[in-house]
Amino acid sequence: MSIFSSMNTTASALTAQRLRMDVISSNIANVDTTRAKQVNGEWEPYRRKSVTLAEDNGQFSSFLNKAMGKEENAGNGVRVTAVNDDRETPFKLVYNPTHPDANEDGYVEMPNVDLLTEMVDLVSSTRSYEANVTVFNASKSMLTKALEIGK
Amino acid sequence: MAINPLSLSVANTQIIEDTNKLATNTATPYEAQKSFASTLKDAIASVNEQQIQSDAMTQKLINGEDVELHEVMITAQKASVTLNATMEVRNKAIEAYQEIMRMSI
Repeated sequence: MSIFSSMNTTASALTAQRLRMDVISSNIANVDTTRAKQVNGEWEPYRRKSVTLAEDNGQFSSFLNKAMGKEENAGNGVRVTAVNDDRETPFKLVYNPTHPDANEDGYVEMPNVDLLTEMVDLVSSTRSYEANVTVFNASKSMLTKALEIGK
Repeated sequence: MAINPLSLSVANTQIIEDTNKLATNTATPYEAQKSFASTLKDAIASVNEQQIQSDAMTQKLINGEDVELHEVMITAQKASVTLNATMEVRNKAIEAYQEIMRMSI
């Protein structure tokens, strides 16, 4: 176990939170996008994207240690497994007959992005990032303190 | 006054045996110095490797390549911690050297 393993774990979390932030910014940017992709000649609005995170089990050696019953594996951080489209929430229907993408009844399908949810996710990912930076600083100050042993 | 061989305890003979073993195993001063030098060289090379890595990451960031800012910062911090550790080892080595040099013969 390297002395930098906690730093590497934190780095993986920071990368994951950055990606979450990227996805959230994409969701907020496309809150009014009615033409995200074409399905059978029809334009479909933007679908909300979300990130799936999983524990990073790391290298072969960590699996081997686990199999041999040596539970000294502290984990290797987090990784992003997928960026999924939200297919559960229906599109919002807005009455706007002048819109070029309106259907015959004058309704336009708007993306299933909820701005409030996105803002909450945004704050959550920012706080998560900050928490990981705090962990990093704590880990670094621990190492710096260790260098003071015997001074 | 001659030492009575019978008064030697088991522990004493053990120590003598160990000392003999140590004497046969000890490398020549040249060899010891060489291995110390190569260990030091390896350690400093790995520290230098960290610095080079940090430099490369910073360069990538400046050139606008696809590299995360926190990765750059973390690499720099790792290099800094490694360098500090090296400085501590160096200080200890120099301290020991000066202590030896101060020895009055």
